Amino acid sequence: MKIRWRMFAVLATFVLSLVVLIERKPVTAAAQSPAPAKTAAPSLPTSESLTIPDTNLAINSPVPLSQRIVHYEIDAKYDASSRTVDATEVLTYHNLTGQPLDHFPFHLYQNAFQPNATFVRDSKLMGSRDTGYEKWEAKYYGSEDIKSIEVGGQGDLTRNLQFIAPDDDNKDDKTVADLHLAKPIPAGAFVQFKIVFQTKFPETQARSGWKRDFVLGGQWFPKVGVWWHGAWNAHQYHNTTEFFADFGVYDVKLTVPQDEVIGASGIEVSNVTNSDRTKTVTYHGDDIHDFAWTASPRFKVKEADYQAQMGPIKLRFLMQPAHWDQVDRHERITRETLDHFEKWYGPYPYKTLTVVDPEPDSAAGGMEYPTFITAGTTWWMPEGLHEVEGVVEHEFGHQYWYGMVATNEFEDAWLDEGINSYTEVKVLDSILGKDTSVLNLAGATYGEPEQQRDFYISTPDRDAMAQNAYAYVNSFSYGGVTYGKTASVLLTLEGIIGEDTMNKAMHTYFMNYRFTHPTKEDFLKTIEQVSGKDLRWYFNQAVYGTQVLDYEVLSANSYPIDWFEEKKKDKKGGKDAKDSDTIYQSYVTVHRKGDFVMPIEVEVKFDNNEKVREHWDGQSRWTRFSYQKKAKVISAEIDPDHTIHIDRDNFNNSLLVEPNPKPTHKLSTYWLFLTQWMSQAMAWWAV
Amino acid sequence: MTNKSLLSTGLGKVAHNKRYIVWFWLLNLTLAEFGTAAFRRSSHAILDNTLLAQRLVKGFDAGVFGELLFKPEFGSLNFMTYPALYFAFTFFLATALFLPGIFSGYASNYRLPREEFFRACGRNLWRFIRIMIVAGILMGMVAGLLFAANGAIVKKAAESTNEKLPFELQVTGLAVMFLIMTTLRLWFDLAEVDTVLDDKRAVRKSIAAAFRHTLRSLARLLTSYVVVTIVAGILLVGGLWIWMKFVPADSVVGAFLIAQITLFLLLIPRFWQRAIAVSYWQQRMLAPVVAVQPIEPAPVPVATLPIAPVPDTGPVVSSPSTPPTEAPQS
Repeated sequence: MKIRWRMFAVLATFVLSLVVLIERKPVTAAAQSPAPAKTAAPSLPTSESLTIPDTNLAINSPVPLSQRIVHYEIDAKYDASSRTVDATEVLTYHNLTGQPLDHFPFHLYQNAFQPNATFVRDSKLMGSRDTGYEKWEAKYYGSEDIKSIEVGGQGDLTRNLQFIAPDDDNKDDKTVADLHLAKPIPAGAFVQFKIVFQTKFPETQARSGWKRDFVLGGQWFPKVGVWWHGAWNAHQYHNTTEFFADFGVYDVKLTVPQDEVIGASGIEVSNVTNSDRTKTVTYHGDDIHDFAWTASPRFKVKEADYQAQMGPIKLRFLMQPAHWDQVDRHERITRETLDHFEKWYGPYPYKTLTVVDPEPDSAAGGMEYPTFITAGTTWWMPEGLHEVEGVVEHEFGHQYWYGMVATNEFEDAWLDEGINSYTEVKVLDSILGKDTSVLNLAGATYGEPEQQRDFYISTPDRDAMAQNAYAYVNSFSYGGVTYGKTASVLLTLEGIIGEDTMNKAMHTYFMNYRFTHPTKEDFLKTIEQVSGKDLRWYFNQAVYGTQVLDYEVLSANSYPIDWFEEKKKDKKGGKDAKDSDTIYQSYVTVHRKGDFVMPIEVEVKFDNNEKVREHWDGQSRWTRFSYQKKAKVISAEIDPDHTIHIDRDNFNNSLLVEPNPKPTHKLSTYWLFLTQWMSQAMAWWAV
Repeated sequence: MTNKSLLSTGLGKVAHNKRYIVWFWLLNLTLAEFGTAAFRRSSHAILDNTLLAQRLVKGFDAGVFGELLFKPEFGSLNFMTYPALYFAFTFFLATALFLPGIFSGYASNYRLPREEFFRACGRNLWRFIRIMIVAGILMGMVAGLLFAANGAIVKKAAESTNEKLPFELQVTGLAVMFLIMTTLRLWFDLAEVDTVLDDKRAVRKSIAAAFRHTLRSLARLLTSYVVVTIVAGILLVGGLWIWMKFVPADSVVGAFLIAQITLFLLLIPRFWQRAIAVSYWQQRMLAPVVAVQPIEPAPVPVATLPIAPVPDTGPVVSSPSTPPTEAPQS
């Protein structure tokens, strides 16, 4: 019996080992199972001699601004012909988690650009904003291979690296690798990793990769996860997610062909020409949580200075040759945006800001990295179409909402993209005019608030703002809710607590949470504290819920109170006979069509120019206001001050008793012209 | 014959037959009114009773217009475009129907009576349909090939680091396509004119004759057509510029008037091209009429000699001025 048990135990152990082996895919083909660390003498220093630098080369501050957890030292060589980077990364990690750490997850983002990766699966399922996969060939894929990983005091642990898929269990996804240590890193200690890796860039996808001779090096190196709320936070790369990382110091050496013009996060500290037709440019970054770079032999460069609150900033614009005439336009909006952010939200502490005009037709435009943003334009961009202004402002705004207030973009995308869209509305409205901040061309206008609202109302009820970015029904819903709804919700909130209070709350939020990883409740509570109001009724519906707000003026009418006598009068004086003393009974009925409950104002106008304001708590489905006046009601309007930006249908927010056909006549004239011209053109060629 | 004279002769024909332009403009407007009826109905239902619509009157708020398009009650874009396309197609058919009458009118030295106009229309309808089928197949194939070739070139150019190159090639390609398609158009314009004015039943003969003349006088004809097209472009751009520059945003009447004046003027160039085709046909393709000199009767000689008594020897057949030497044998 004992023997049988022993046999069973041996068999069970074997099966268990097999299961573990299958579940935890080794990074390298050679690895068979989690193996003990090699006993070779460690080449990396141990915890006692390690530290994270407290440098301030790249910031206008005498002391570090963040709790620096990581220090990345990367020595990378870019091969422009194969679009690959071969690099050695030395990562020093300070364990401030308060507990020993026996494993570390690493993001390998470039592995997202493989056919069976979760990113591509998501894109095919949910839609992608910039890449179609119909003609996607192997030469366009991306990859990120760790050749070896060595841990200070523990030797080479490459065999201990296992791919994990915490979000969807996709066994083919290789965007997160977990490294099990031979012995845990004690709380408060430092640990150093030496990672030799090769990154092959894809043809640009998700703001990273190559296009023609241009390359944008974004998310290109193995990056450790974030210990957050008592656990590692390292999500896979999805097509609707961005990133999350700890603050620290970056020292990056980039060796590129000599003809390349490059730009990167942080400040340039040296530039050495090598004998092999390459050059090595070294960058340093303080209090940042990512590092990106770009290179193209055709960039034209403009540098300028900006005096910020904490010190001077070097502005650097890397422009496409065909867009050189727009460099001043880029600079102007960058300066104006900086002015507004510093004045409204807080100081910009970094010494540099690099604005990249990426390769046309690439998926590299409109992206934020610390002190480094990509914009996007075309050679024919008219002045009245504020595309340049919109993208530069938005990406710069991320220096605050992502760069410094470093929220978790996997789980709370609305905290960076949404809040940033809200401040985009505020800043661009201030600079370009409220109704013309998107478009002011040939008589046509379009404002930022409307744009964000249109984005929202196109998909208003499928997803809540407060949910993981990869859990949306599709990309469209993710975009509409994360960007458009959040901006509209915050603009509406401004109407509830007042614009000044909202500005104060935003400033407080930034100053309190810069260089940290705040949560959604940190943001919401800040607003409640600053405003002194309990806003849960609003947040529960707007942030956590999917309720849709839609109020309508159902009816508005008047009739003479002595209508039966009026009939008699009609017989004598004609139908239109009117007595100025006639008293009219008027009714205005307002209907809450949606399930979002919110108090509203209603303005009723009478034909004697009298206006009456009504307040309704919106609790019931409808309400009716009645009046007896010597005047007839001519119109009723919900939200006459236009402070509600989340109403799904603005057309039914007002009702004119007497129809006004002029708008239709105008639109019909346009459409008539187009129809006639189209028919003339058809007849021109066909007969 | 110079280009100028071809252009001016054509323009003269258009000027002498202005009523055709007026009728076609009215037809164009009427059909378009039908084509836009669905749009108007939907628009009235949503915009007439809301204050928000004012933002479309005082300027053009693209956001409000976008929201209007989003509304399910407004209907889909197809709801607007399909009727417009149907009536555009109807206008095209009407043009095909009435064009023979217009050619006859342009060729006529007098004001063509209504009966003759419609007779020409009816007599040539089936011939026109046959020409249109041939032209449609040929022009469709050529246009398809040209677009495909241009697309391939532009796609290849997109790999270049010169960002403007694809656009420049696209524009160049479109210009070349325009010239080729205009050449085809004038070929079939000449064929249509020949069919009508020469009353040919076999349209293939007209097409063949027109082809020969198109090749023979390509430079002159093409130049004339291109000049007229440039005039059309100037009219369109000018009309839109005046509309945007001088018509107040809330002036519906002003917008309607400038739109219709522009559209009216835009009809002229195409009629001008057709008049050029008629002029060319009259000058170069019309079969020459051989002028036959009437045979003058021989003058009766005035008798100057004293009339002597002639013996009765039979009928006299020779000229009285030369008395016969011998009598013919009977």
